[in-house]
Amino acid sequence: MKAVILAAGEGRRLRPFTETIPKVMLPVANKPVLEYVIDAVKNNGINEIVIVVGYKKEVIMEHFKNYKGAKITYVVQEKQLGTGHALLHAKSHIKDTFIILSGDNIIDNTSISKLIKDDSKYSILIKEHPNPSKYGAVFIEREKLREIVEKPREEVGKFISTGIYKLSKNIFDIIEELANEGIYDLSSTIQSIVDDGEKINTIVADLWRDIVYPWDLIHLNETMINRTPSIFGGTIEKGVTIKGDVSVGKDTTIYSGCYIVGPVIIGKGCEIGPNVCIFPSTTIGNNSVIQPFSQVGNTVIMNDSRIGSCSVIKNSVIGRGCIIENNFSSIDGSSTIEIEGEFKKLEKIGSMIGEDCNIESNVIVKPGKIIGRKCNISSLKIIDDNIPSNSKVM
Amino acid sequence: MCGIVGYNGFREANKVLIDCLKRLEYRGYDSAGIGVIGKKLQVFKEVGEISKLEEKIPSFEGDIGIGHTRWATHGAVTKENAHPQLSSNKKIALIHNGIIENFQKLKEDLEKKGVKFASQTDSEVIVQLINQNYTGNLRDAVINTIKQLKGSYAIVAACKEEPDILVGARNESPLVVGVGDNENFIASDISALLKYTNRVKYLDDGEICVLSKKDIKIFNKNTKEVTKEENIITWELKDAEKSGFPHFMLKEIFEQPDTINKALLGRVSEIDRSIRLHEKIEDLLNYDIKSIRILACGTSYYSGLVGKYLIEQLTDIPVIVELASEYRYFGTKSEDSLIIGVTQSGETADTLAALREAKNAGCRTLVITNVMGSTATRISDAYILTQSGPEIGVAATKTFTSQILILLLIAFKLASLKNKLGADELSKYIIHLKELPRKVREVLDNSDKILNIALELKNVDSVFFIGRGINYPLSLEGALKLKEISYIHAEGFAAGELKHGPFALLTQVTPVITIVTKDNTYDKMIANIGEVKARGPEVIAIAEENDSEIEKHADFVIRFPGQSNPLSCIPIIVILQLLAYHVANLRECSIDKPRNLAKSVTVE
Amino acid sequence: MKCVILAAGEGKRMHPLTYTRPKVMLPIANRPILELNLLNAKKAGLKHFIFVVGYKSEMVRNYFQDGKKWGVKIEYVNQGNALGTAHAIGMVEKFVDNFIVLCGDTIFGKQDIKKIVDKKNSIGLINIDNPREYGVVEIKKEKVIKIYEKMEKPISNVINAGIYHFEKQIFDFIKKTKKSLRGEYEITDSINMMVKNVVFKGVFLKEWRDVVYPWHLLDANEEMLKKSEKKIEGNIDINTMIKGDVSIGRNTHVMSGAYIEGPVLIGNNCKIGPNCYIRPFTTIGNNCHIGNACEVKNSIVMNNSNVPHQNYVGDSVIGENCNLGSGTKVANLRFDKKNISTIINGKKIDTKRRKLGVVMGDNIQTGINSTMDVGTILGHNVFIGPGANAKGNIEPNSRIL
Repeated sequence: MKAVILAAGEGRRLRPFTETIPKVMLPVANKPVLEYVIDAVKNNGINEIVIVVGYKKEVIMEHFKNYKGAKITYVVQEKQLGTGHALLHAKSHIKDTFIILSGDNIIDNTSISKLIKDDSKYSILIKEHPNPSKYGAVFIEREKLREIVEKPREEVGKFISTGIYKLSKNIFDIIEELANEGIYDLSSTIQSIVDDGEKINTIVADLWRDIVYPWDLIHLNETMINRTPSIFGGTIEKGVTIKGDVSVGKDTTIYSGCYIVGPVIIGKGCEIGPNVCIFPSTTIGNNSVIQPFSQVGNTVIMNDSRIGSCSVIKNSVIGRGCIIENNFSSIDGSSTIEIEGEFKKLEKIGSMIGEDCNIESNVIVKPGKIIGRKCNISSLKIIDDNIPSNSKVM
Repeated sequence: MCGIVGYNGFREANKVLIDCLKRLEYRGYDSAGIGVIGKKLQVFKEVGEISKLEEKIPSFEGDIGIGHTRWATHGAVTKENAHPQLSSNKKIALIHNGIIENFQKLKEDLEKKGVKFASQTDSEVIVQLINQNYTGNLRDAVINTIKQLKGSYAIVAACKEEPDILVGARNESPLVVGVGDNENFIASDISALLKYTNRVKYLDDGEICVLSKKDIKIFNKNTKEVTKEENIITWELKDAEKSGFPHFMLKEIFEQPDTINKALLGRVSEIDRSIRLHEKIEDLLNYDIKSIRILACGTSYYSGLVGKYLIEQLTDIPVIVELASEYRYFGTKSEDSLIIGVTQSGETADTLAALREAKNAGCRTLVITNVMGSTATRISDAYILTQSGPEIGVAATKTFTSQILILLLIAFKLASLKNKLGADELSKYIIHLKELPRKVREVLDNSDKILNIALELKNVDSVFFIGRGINYPLSLEGALKLKEISYIHAEGFAAGELKHGPFALLTQVTPVITIVTKDNTYDKMIANIGEVKARGPEVIAIAEENDSEIEKHADFVIRFPGQSNPLSCIPIIVILQLLAYHVANLRECSIDKPRNLAKSVTVE
Repeated sequence: MKCVILAAGEGKRMHPLTYTRPKVMLPIANRPILELNLLNAKKAGLKHFIFVVGYKSEMVRNYFQDGKKWGVKIEYVNQGNALGTAHAIGMVEKFVDNFIVLCGDTIFGKQDIKKIVDKKNSIGLINIDNPREYGVVEIKKEKVIKIYEKMEKPISNVINAGIYHFEKQIFDFIKKTKKSLRGEYEITDSINMMVKNVVFKGVFLKEWRDVVYPWHLLDANEEMLKKSEKKIEGNIDINTMIKGDVSIGRNTHVMSGAYIEGPVLIGNNCKIGPNCYIRPFTTIGNNCHIGNACEVKNSIVMNNSNVPHQNYVGDSVIGENCNLGSGTKVANLRFDKKNISTIINGKKIDTKRRKLGVVMGDNIQTGINSTMDVGTILGHNVFIGPGANAKGNIEPNSRIL
């Protein structure tokens, strides 16, 4: 059996983090989301995978070349018109029943295993969700799919579609028919075959997580980091206290006096300066430096970053290549954040800072603020607003 | 230079040979051929890349054979000139890498004896000679033949009448034997064999080997058998792919933020404010060095020139950069000079020869290379790997920037050891070093702006690059890149030298690319731009982002990020690489495999 | 008849020990597993062997060479890429007629091997308690019906022991075998095809031992030592106490005050003592030094390693060329006496042992008074500094200062 993974999307709501990489490559516990999906598929014995790429495809193709011996075929979707349209691009590579997944949703081995073992011609993985109005809500009758409604307006029960299906290759004909009518999404195609009398078996997924907003990177990190056990590479100096599951990459040095409470992942080639405290659910990428007396908790710090001395960072995301001077504060609190016209209220959120920012000393960023990429912020500023990419705050 | 491979074992020879040849394709790709002995000796050759050969070749039965991929040095690219070359009676087949200097005379002598030649190659002369000398023993025939040859060669011969053996011989061109179980291999380099065996024996100049299925016998030129050590190769080959980029070269340019990190990984500590190199290297550098000689060819020579500026600026040790091909014959070999060889592949013939000469004279040798286990790493006292991963594009890009970084690390290390660089200063440099990936990413983000400038250069015949100080070797490299892949004539000059001759070449249609950094050369460069503009041509300036003056002088400006400092050379190089790439792409040139060029030159 | 032994595997679950050696070269009672199989096969009448090698093949070749030392003939075939058991066996086609195949990393007894030798077209079977991790074999009155992949709910306790007697026709089926779900060519798939046309019989074995994780070596070692005989070569000082089955190799010097409680095996050229305590089921390799005031219990110490001064090593596996600094001690029991879990290849595994010390790869150096927690895994070339405490899984080439 083959798998088709849709990975062409940009992920606009995840800006500024998706300005240079596609949504599926965002890191969760130091692994791109897409890697979790591919692993779930591979661990169930599927070795032939078709990945539909588009936005910033080179990042994906470079990362997964020679991936664990899997045979990966890439198809390029030039214009992102919809999920059905994306799937159509894989048509020539599929000769049989196959499974389709979205590259930007984390899924575990067991769920995929259930899907594969199911005997039905068509099946779908569903999940309970407190807020189905943002997804494809599903209505079930005797365990079979009766109706799937994208972003329903009314009160709709509790299950949503994960976007993961097992389909027969006949689906392509139906997608083509609908595409001719200008309908490009997969849910409509599914509804169409249900209406035609096909029985689609519903199976409840175990672990399924979607990333939609920048703060999801923090929450997902918290969830997935628990699965990573302790491994120490590099050099751990004397006087370092490590509690719980902490993973330290090759060529990294943890200097004296550091206090690290797991679960924490620290990448390769990092320098965690003397007397730094790192608290649970923090992931630090590769080649990053955290200078002395800083405190980092429940945060995602991406590759090549520098955090200056005496900084406090909680519940935040620091993008790749950020250079942050001393006494930086990104403390958590409650905040209401606007993303593309929607307002979200969060209880505990720090700041989210895009790639390659330059932040001088003694800067404070208030909770919930999103700073774009390549911003320059001069000293002693208090950031109380979102900052668009390529800005200077003087 | 060419790639050669021989197989004698139990598998289907033609499959094994084509597999190995694919890995040798980087050495030469204008034609390829295979000869297999099964029930008879069958040879198939084709012009073009190995994939072409693979498509067209009929299925050959046989478990012993030879294969060749050619980069023409003598004779045009035709099927007849491709290898394996056959003797006129079709009894003996031969593949050859190298140049036979006296082939003309030998050919005439053979023609006088009535031998009819089918090709214009020097290689055919070898096989015809072997045939003449053949009296029933292939090994002896080969031994007698090589006595008559002058020049470089790595050859493998097969004979219809002795279908159990292959005979190989080497002089100056590389030849390596792969030891298998019930099968043996012979090839130009290890990468061809690694898939099948990791045990190799290196042949030395003048040696001959006889490969049978179960053993390998190696003889010196006096027909005395010699025992060779078996080496286990521990490194792995990683396949490189284009990963969505239209060309390997573009992918490798875009890889630089990553490769910069890899070159620095584990070697630079921000917290400790120190450079950490391997013990062996630190020992090597820790003595009273009176001078440093950097030996290299091509792009590596230019990275050596950049290194010279960096090392001299930081340490006051005089650095002489020498073309390896010149040094080996004419260079001064003094014991208290530290010799640094720079070779991406570790197999560049001239550089290896120069290193050997230096070593024999008692000098300490250090090599900067990208290939673990290459000859250069084995003949020098110590080596530093650039760790950039395989570079497939023939024009060097990521390995160039990595080489400069390693030279920089050596400069820092030497300066610290000599107390010329305090921890505070070094700390500032380290911060700049760590910011390099970001700066390069900024340049890469502006690739489109550079494309617009490339449009200006698309149809010109000639381009000049000028710069002062460290920007002078950058000009040389910029010109080399443009030449290599776009086939536009380009030359780099020290800006101060223009007026001493080259000015005469300037016309309205020779654009001049000037590298202008805000340091003590700035005013003079502005003056140079003025002089150039007075003669008419367009001036494209590469300047720092805060330079507001430059627009008044140059017609076009490409900005590099950050303030001018010695490390600005890295983002500037990336700009020059992208410029060359875009021009070549606009002109629809074959970017990854430019005409007439091959990666890693192992012929001299 | 030739005996083909599959010896190409890395044995990833044996990390860190297999970072620097192939799985078949792991020592049990001071002999590589492959050698144990070679000796038992020889006793079963087999004299001509073909080793299919791959990962770190040079170690196998260097040790066994042409087999003369054991009075047998050994040839080698290099598998190259690890593409599965069918691929490995397929490589020997030109070199065999009827032949035996056995998995080099599983220990088989000589009588069982003889049974297989005597029965054409057979497969060795064994009953085990936890068949979930293995291939269950469905048989009907001796005839093999089907070999299953790992099953969630195994249909019986009969599994494929990993030893076969094939005729040349197996190669036809190997050629037709397609890649399995995990991307390899499996001999069990070839057999499943073959049994449709050919009668393939199951033969129950009496002895069988599989080692998967490093601590299984301790179990195998214990079993092996129970069977071994006492043989004392070396120089034994007076005032030493040697009780039970103890073997001491040539040139080994056991100094006064050494107290050795068998079953214990000590290799050649070792220095033991003075005043050390070596307790049951311990194997010491060649050229080792167990020094003054040291206690070693239920452990495997490989060649050229030293436990030289004031050390305690219990329930541990120590690789080659290791040197423990004075005072280095290994913890092997939790305070709460629960089972010990450890981390192999990034996965947490319950070892089901109450006692487990350290598993260390080769070339480890530890400083004076350093300590290791229960279930610590040290990759090769790790350095533990003076007074430092190592715990968890430490990657090769790291330093804990």
